[in-house]
Amino acid sequence: MSLFQAQGLVKRFGGLVATDNVSIAVEPGEIHALIGPNGAGKSTLVNLISGLLPLDAGKLQLDGVDLTALPPHQRVRAGLSRCFQVTSVFKGDSVRSNLLLAAQAHAGSSFRFLSRRAGEQALMETALGLAEKVGLSDVLDRTAGTLPHGVQRKLDVALALAAGPKLLLLDEPMAGMGPEDSLQMVELIEKLRAEAAILLIEHDMDAVFQLADRISVLVYGKVLTSGDAEHVKGHPEVQAVYLGTEATA
Amino acid sequence: MNASASLPASAPAARRGGGFGAVLPWLLLALLAAFPLIAPHFELEYYVGFVRRLLIVMIAATSLNFILGYGGMVALGHAGFLGVGAYTVVALVDAGFSSAWLAWGAALVVTAAFATLIGAVSLRTRGVYFIMITLAFAQMLYYLGVSLRTYGGDDGYGIYTPLSLGGWLDAQPNAFYWAVLAIAALIFALGSRLAVSRFGLALMGIRDNETRMAALGFPVFRLRLVAFAGAGAVAGLAGALLASHNGFVSPSMMHWTESAILIVMVVIGGMGNRWGGVIGVGLWLTLEEVLKMYTEYWHWPLGLLLIAIVFFAPRGLAALFGSKGERA
Amino acid sequence: MDAIFIIEQLLNGLGYGFMLFLLAAGLTLVFGIMDTMNLAHGSLFMAGAYIAARVHESSGSFVGAVLIAILATVLIAAVIEILIIRRLYSRDHLAQVLATFGIILLADDAVKAIWGPSPIMAPTPPALAGPVQLLDALPYPSYRLLMIAAGLLVAIGLYLLVNHTRVGMLVRAGASNRAMAEFMGVRVGRVFSFVFALGAALAALAGALMGPISAVQIGMGEAILIPALVVIVIGGIGSVRGAFVAALIVGLVDTAGRAFLPPLLRAVLPPSLAADLGPAMAGIAMYVLMAVILTLKPAGLFPARA
Repeated sequence: MSLFQAQGLVKRFGGLVATDNVSIAVEPGEIHALIGPNGAGKSTLVNLISGLLPLDAGKLQLDGVDLTALPPHQRVRAGLSRCFQVTSVFKGDSVRSNLLLAAQAHAGSSFRFLSRRAGEQALMETALGLAEKVGLSDVLDRTAGTLPHGVQRKLDVALALAAGPKLLLLDEPMAGMGPEDSLQMVELIEKLRAEAAILLIEHDMDAVFQLADRISVLVYGKVLTSGDAEHVKGHPEVQAVYLGTEATA
Repeated sequence: MNASASLPASAPAARRGGGFGAVLPWLLLALLAAFPLIAPHFELEYYVGFVRRLLIVMIAATSLNFILGYGGMVALGHAGFLGVGAYTVVALVDAGFSSAWLAWGAALVVTAAFATLIGAVSLRTRGVYFIMITLAFAQMLYYLGVSLRTYGGDDGYGIYTPLSLGGWLDAQPNAFYWAVLAIAALIFALGSRLAVSRFGLALMGIRDNETRMAALGFPVFRLRLVAFAGAGAVAGLAGALLASHNGFVSPSMMHWTESAILIVMVVIGGMGNRWGGVIGVGLWLTLEEVLKMYTEYWHWPLGLLLIAIVFFAPRGLAALFGSKGERA
Repeated sequence: MDAIFIIEQLLNGLGYGFMLFLLAAGLTLVFGIMDTMNLAHGSLFMAGAYIAARVHESSGSFVGAVLIAILATVLIAAVIEILIIRRLYSRDHLAQVLATFGIILLADDAVKAIWGPSPIMAPTPPALAGPVQLLDALPYPSYRLLMIAAGLLVAIGLYLLVNHTRVGMLVRAGASNRAMAEFMGVRVGRVFSFVFALGAALAALAGALMGPISAVQIGMGEAILIPALVVIVIGGIGSVRGAFVAALIVGLVDTAGRAFLPPLLRAVLPPSLAADLGPAMAGIAMYVLMAVILTLKPAGLFPARA
C-alpha cells in the first residue's frame, strides 16, 4: 500500500473547479513530482493536502491515518510537513530562533508558561541538528530576513523537517533561484530522500527530471497523466500543453 | 509596518543590558513599597492613592500588552473584562461577602470564563473584523451593566465598606496599597517570564506568521484562545482591584473609549515590550493628572501626544530607551 | 401595543437608519478605498451638529445653517486629511486607530473651548415643528419625515453618483481593487481626497439633521461612531449598497428593540426581570445581529472585494 494516498480531491471556487477529482499517491522513499502549467491548480492542491484550504470532496490518507478531517496542525503531527512557494520563515528572528520554534512544535507541549525555553538543551540540540542537515550552521545568529534568498529557502525546508515528516510537500523549492542555488537545492532534496517521501511541485524541468521517480502532470485541475520521466516526455498531450498548443483529446 | 518590527527584548538581550537592567525592576519595587511610608513626610499622601490606581491600570495594560503586543491581537474590548471583574466584586459585596481575596479570586475566574467564550467566537475572525467583534462584545457587556438595576444600572453601585484583607492586615492603612503592589509585581514578573517561555514564543510566532505556525504543527487557535482568556482574566482582576480602589462601579468603566485608551497606553509605552504597559500607563495617567491640575482642557495635549507617537515613535517609548544594537 | 405605535416606531427606525447610512457611507468608502480606519468620523458628525445648531439659532435659517455646517465641516475635514489622514494610508490599522483617536481628543476639547462643556439645544425649524397627519390616527412629527426624505434623497444621489458617473466608477474601481485601479491609471490619492470630503459632508449633514432630535453635546460623535462601524461591518466594508441595507437593518433593529422588546418581555417574564433585561437586550440587539452575520458571512452581507 502507498504511504500517502489522495483520492478524488475536489475544490471549487464559485463556478471554477480548481481541483477536479484528483487522485495521487506517494510510495515510501519516493520522490513524486507534480508539474503543470501556471494556473493548473498545483498550489491549490498543496493547500488542500496540507489543510490550509478545506476540501469539497475527497479523502486523504497517510501511513494508515485518515487525514481528511484533521486541521493543519494535526496533519503535521500525523507526519505531513510542507514548505511554501513564497518563502515562509520568521524574518525578524535569527535562524537559531526559527529552528528552535520549529523544534518546539514537535517536542512536547507549547502550553508551558513559566520555564524559560532558552534553558531547554534538547531543543537546542534538535535545532543545531536541523541546521547541520540543511547547511545553515554558519548563519545561526543571522536575522533570517537578511539572508540571501537561497539560504532562506533552505531554512524553510529545515523548518518543515523539524516535524520528522513521513511525507514532505515541497512547493516550488527552486522558485526564484539562480542556477547555483538550484543546484544546491537539488542536492539537498536528493539527500532528504532518505528521510521522507517527497511530493515535489516544481517548474524547473531539469530538476524534476533529475530528482523524480514518478511525475504527474496537472492540467486544468486534473491529472493528465502519471509515469516516469520517459513516459511524461513522450506523452503527446503533455507536449501539447508545454508547447502551448491546445490538446485535442 | 509588519508586526515583526516590534520584537520584544529577548532574555539574553535583557541580561546583556547589564546589571542595571536586571536591578531596575527590584529598585522600582522597593521604591514603590516604601512610598506610602515616605509620602506623609512630604505631604504626598494624596499620591499614595494615585500610585495605587496607576498600579492597577498597569496590571490591566500589561495583560492587554500580552495579547496585543506579543499576540498581535488588536482587541478593542479589554475594558469589558475590567467591568466583568468589577461587577463580580459588586455581586459578592451585594450578597454579603466581604473578603477581598475571595472577591478578587472570583473576579479572576468569572472573567476567565467570559473571556474564553468571547475569545472562542472572536478569534475566528481576523483584522478589522476582529477589532469590531471584540468591540461588539464589550458593548454587550456595557449594556448588560446598564441593565443590572439590582446593582444600580446606569448610576452604578457604591461599595461603602472596604473589603477585608483578613486579620491584622485590616488595621494596617497601607495594606491595600501593598497588596496591589504585590499583585502588580507578580503580573509584571509573570508577563516577563511568559515572553521567554515556550508559550510566549509560540504566541509571537503566530503574530509574525500565522500560516507558517499552523504548518509547523502548532495549535494556533488554542494558543491564541488561552492567551486571550488569560489576559482577560488578569484584566478582570484589575477591574476587581479598581472596584475596591474606587469603592464604586458603574458601566461607564466599560465604555469603548476606555478600551481604546488602554490600547493607547500600551502602544505609547511599547507593544511587545515588558515595560510597555508600565511606561504607557505611568506617562498617560500622570500627564492626565498634571494637566487636570492646570486646565480643564486636558484632552488635546494627550491627543497631540498620541498623534506624535504614531508618527515619530511608532514602536513606543520603551523602544526609544531600549538597546539599539539588539537586533543586529 | 397597537398598529399605530408599531408604524410610528418603524418610521423612527427608518429615520435613524438613514442617518446611520449618511455616516456609514463615507466611512465605508474611506475604509474600502484606502483601507483606512477613521475613528474621527464621529467628530465630523459632531462638528456638523454644533455648527448647524449655532448658525440656525443666530440666523434663523435652517437650510442656510445646514449648508454652512456642511461647508465648514468639509473644510475642517480637508485640513485633517492633509495634515494627518494622508500620512496614515500606508500604516496599519492600529496606527490609524490611534492617530484618529488622538483627533477625537483634540476635537472634543476644541468643541468645549468654542461652545462650552454643556450640551446645547438645537432648535427644530418652526415650519417643521408640528406633526403631519399621515393616516387618520397617525400623526407623525414632520421634522422626522424630513429626515427620512433627506436620507432617501442622499441615498438616491449617492447611488447615481457611484453607479452612473465617471467619479463613481473610479470610486468603485478603487474600492474593489486598489492595486488594479492604480495600475489602470486611477489617481487613487485624488479619488480618496474627494471621497473623504464627501464623507465629511454626509457626516455633517447627519449631524445637522440629528441635532434637533438628540442632544448636541461632546461625546455625541463617539456614541454614534460605533453603530456606524457596526453598519459598515455588517454591510461589507467598502460597499455603499451594503452600508445602505445594513444601516436600515440596524436602524430598525435598534429602534424596534428599544420600543418592542421591553413590552414583549413584560408579557412573558416577571416584571422585575423584564425591567432588568429589557434595556440590555434592546441595546445589545445590533451587536448580536453583527456577531451572527459575521459568523455566517465573515466579510459582511455585500463584500466589496471578490
